[in-house]
Amino acid sequence: MALAKPGYSRIVDPGPTFSAPTASLRTEPQLIFREVEDPDLIAKARRGDVEAYNLLVSRWEKRVYNYLLRLVSNREDALDVSQDVFLKAYQSLPKLDDPARFSGWLFRIAHNEAFSLLRRKRPETELAGEPRPPELSPRLLPMELSLAVETALNRLNADQREAVLLKVYQGFKFEEMAEILECPVSTVKSRLYTALDLLKTTLAPMQKAALRGES
Amino acid sequence: MSCSSPESKPDWKAYALRELDQDAYRQAEIHLTNCSDCQEELGILRLTLDTLSTLREEEIPRRIAFVSDKVFEPRWWQRVFSPTFAAGALVAVAILIHGAMRPGQAQVDAAVTKAISQVEAQHMREIQAMYEQLDIRDKQVANMYRNAVLSQ
Repeated sequence: MALAKPGYSRIVDPGPTFSAPTASLRTEPQLIFREVEDPDLIAKARRGDVEAYNLLVSRWEKRVYNYLLRLVSNREDALDVSQDVFLKAYQSLPKLDDPARFSGWLFRIAHNEAFSLLRRKRPETELAGEPRPPELSPRLLPMELSLAVETALNRLNADQREAVLLKVYQGFKFEEMAEILECPVSTVKSRLYTALDLLKTTLAPMQKAALRGES
Repeated sequence: MSCSSPESKPDWKAYALRELDQDAYRQAEIHLTNCSDCQEELGILRLTLDTLSTLREEEIPRRIAFVSDKVFEPRWWQRVFSPTFAAGALVAVAILIHGAMRPGQAQVDAAVTKAISQVEAQHMREIQAMYEQLDIRDKQVANMYRNAVLSQ
């Protein structure tokens, strides 16, 4: 028998409701594990259950961290901001109207925190100047390709980069992105489309070269 | 790059990003089969998105976790209004009231003695009434017997 993991509730599956073709064949009830949904954890966290909130954090921390890392381009900053995001989210949980829209709400907090940091650090970033494109060999390795993508993303402005991060890496719909960024859908599309036009001029030839190298 | 029918050219970015509704998606598919320019444009776009997907996701250097602290604990009024706390408080108040209003042992003894004496007095009255009834019946029987003897 499988052991219950923390954060999982055990429910009994009563088996199929239709009659079995052979009367002698009985379907034994099966034990299945249903993952505790985010709204359940949010409800518990709202009542002060810190462990439920920690479980919620563990589900989202990697996504939030990577989103912030690409925005602020610094691991230490990304980690600090991630912690701030989850602390603010905990304190603001009572204000969350619809627990089913937790992800968009969480990323809105992350967006606000990241841009607050970027505004504070702007002079330093400007001094650092434009990131230099890496020197790449004609035959690209996956690691080099990943580095090239990172560089290409860093050459976008913060708004364009964020649009790509939310759409391509986090999979939000245009409407959700508009809520996170607090701007019209047309603005979201404009930022994203401009970013894709810029990216395709640098990335598509690289990918072609990588594919040629493989063949 | 020029599309064969630019007036009906689909939004290829929305197409590649799965943001088109079913009808628009179907129309885009039809357009694509007849337009080599759009095939090339979509091909480059897909190549770009494929390249973007090669970006490696990093592990978080330190896990984020919170411990129960004063900052995180609910306010006193949130506790008071929680069902469990309210029920417990109600039981505690009921016990206190009961304790405060409970009579002393002497009062209980006096009340018991009074109740017993009342019951005894009631019993005595009933027995007395019964004896009186029996006396009346005895006298009636004796009178009947005497009358019968005298009539013989």
